[in-house]
Formats: sequence, C-alpha cells, structure tokens
Amino acid sequence: MSYFRITLHRSAIGLPKRTRGVLAALGLRRRTQTVFHPVSPDFAGMIMKVKELVRVEEVDRALTKDEVKASRRPERGFWVEKPVPR
Amino acid sequence: MSRALLRSALELRTPAARLPPSFLLPIRARSFNSTAPIIEPTSSASASSHDAASSTIQPPSAETQRANSTLSSRSSTSPQTLYPPSPPPATPPVLSDSVRQLLPLLASQPSHYITVHIHGRPYLVTPGDAIRLPFHMPGVVPGDVLRLDRASVIGSRDFTLKGSPYIDDRVFECRAVVTGSELEPVRITVKKKQRTRRARRVRSQHRFTTLTISELKIKGVEEIAGEGSSA
Repeated sequence: MSYFRITLHRSAIGLPKRTRGVLAALGLRRRTQTVFHPVSPDFAGMIMKVKELVRVEEVDRALTKDEVKASRRPERGFWVEKPVPR
Repeated sequence: MSRALLRSALELRTPAARLPPSFLLPIRARSFNSTAPIIEPTSSASASSHDAASSTIQPPSAETQRANSTLSSRSSTSPQTLYPPSPPPATPPVLSDSVRQLLPLLASQPSHYITVHIHGRPYLVTPGDAIRLPFHMPGVVPGDVLRLDRASVIGSRDFTLKGSPYIDDRVFECRAVVTGSELEPVRITVKKKQRTRRARRVRSQHRFTTLTISELKIKGVEEIAGEGSSA
C-alpha cells in the first residue's frame, strides 16, 4: 500500500475558506508540516484542490511523527570511545 | 650608541613587558568571554572506590564494576550507552579512484586540518585546538575520549578531501578529550510588562562543554581495505 507524503509548502493565509478547509481536512496546520495519507481518489482530489500549496511524493510506508523528526535531525557526529573510570 | 645597547639589553631581559597582558592578545581576545574552566569533581564515593582499586592494583572485577555503578550517582547511564557508536553501513562504500590515488599524498603531508560536524554544526580544527561547544554535553566528565566520526573536509597545505556531505569515516581517526566546561557570564534580561512599572529580572547562566582535539590520523588505503575485509 502506498502513501502520499504531503508537505505544506506555502501558507494558506488570505486564501478562501474552502481552501483552508481542504488543508484542515488533510491535517495540515502549518508550513513544512508533513502528513501521510493512503493513495486513493479522495485524497488525490483534495491534493488537486491545494496543489499550488503542497509538495507531494508517493512513498511505500507512512512514517510516524517521530520518524519524520528523526530524519530531520542531524547526525550526532561523535561517540564515547574511552570514558574515564568513575 | 650606549643608550641603544642599554635598551636592547632591557628588551632582551623582559621581552614580554612591551606586550599587553596575555588575555588581551588577539588569539585570547577572540575567545569566548567566560569564567575560568570548571572541572567537575567526580562523586566522592566513586573516587574513593577507584582509589582503593588503584592502590591495591586489582583487576576490576565485575562485582566492583557493579558497585561503582550503584555507588556513583550519575553513572546510572554510562556515556557509552548514552553515546554509542553509529552502526556501520551494511555495504561499505567503495573509495573512488581519485581518493585512492591522492589519499597517500594527503596523508604524507605534515599537518592537517579537519572540519568535524557535531550535531550538524561544523568546527574547523587542527590537533591541539581547544573548542567550546555551544551546548552542555550531559553524561560526560573531563578525560572522556570522544571519537569524532563525521567530517566534511580534511585538508593539508596542498590537498583537500571533501565529502558529500560527509567523508567516509574509515578514512580518518579523529579524537577529542573532554576538558571540562565553562560558565558564561550571567545574562540578566528585564521582562517589562506593558503600561505598568512591573519589571522582572530573569537571570540565566549556561554551561558549555569544552573539548581538545587530541588526535587526527589519516589512514592508508591498504588499512581501509583490510578493515573492510576483516569486518
């Protein structure tokens, strides 16, 4: 089962209430927020309504919120090789 | 003539007298305005047990290790479990031909610099440098040896190895020693409520971990290949 990975790229400030309603139905509240929805005609139609505002990818698996956050976090870059005895 | 001689003799005797004090020299003046470095004492229980173990020169058995971990307050989370090494990639990337050719030349040059990335922030350093991290690293104490394994640039006078975005961590070994932490000067912010005289002073003073880059070694191509075959 594949999913749409939808990221709100442009703000909906000043847009009609219908458009904001579509974003609310997709679960997008703020810019750069990412949501996952299964590929279906319903969601495809909703994405078409706000296609100027979002960036869409098709992915195999829906990531959880924590996984999305972890993918954005930079790598730690170090590890403790030899701790002093304590 | 004699006066010039006298002056030169004086200068020879006190060469540092004409210099400003050391904390005003450029290299010091650029450093962080902070208090003296703080070296946290290890907890007394663990220190005494460690002393006892060192005086009798016993091999640390599992039981004493467990006692240490229960006695000392902060070693409930060991730094090695807090900061474990990142797992190696399943398929180690192959070195490109230019890296194979030019890595020995880079390694043969006398001194190197490296841009290491800690939590995504770059630090351009060379062995011996002291850096103050912009955060306090919890769970480490002075003397801990950190292995820095993310670098974007390694260079010498004539050669530069650039990563995209990071260099393969088998190419180099970079180590840093935790030297302590620094306290910044107290910052007092006045929070003023609008249209009243109410003002609140908020005091904040943060602690920053300091490191010293202790070692930077660039490995040979054969060494990297040998590790790949053994692993």
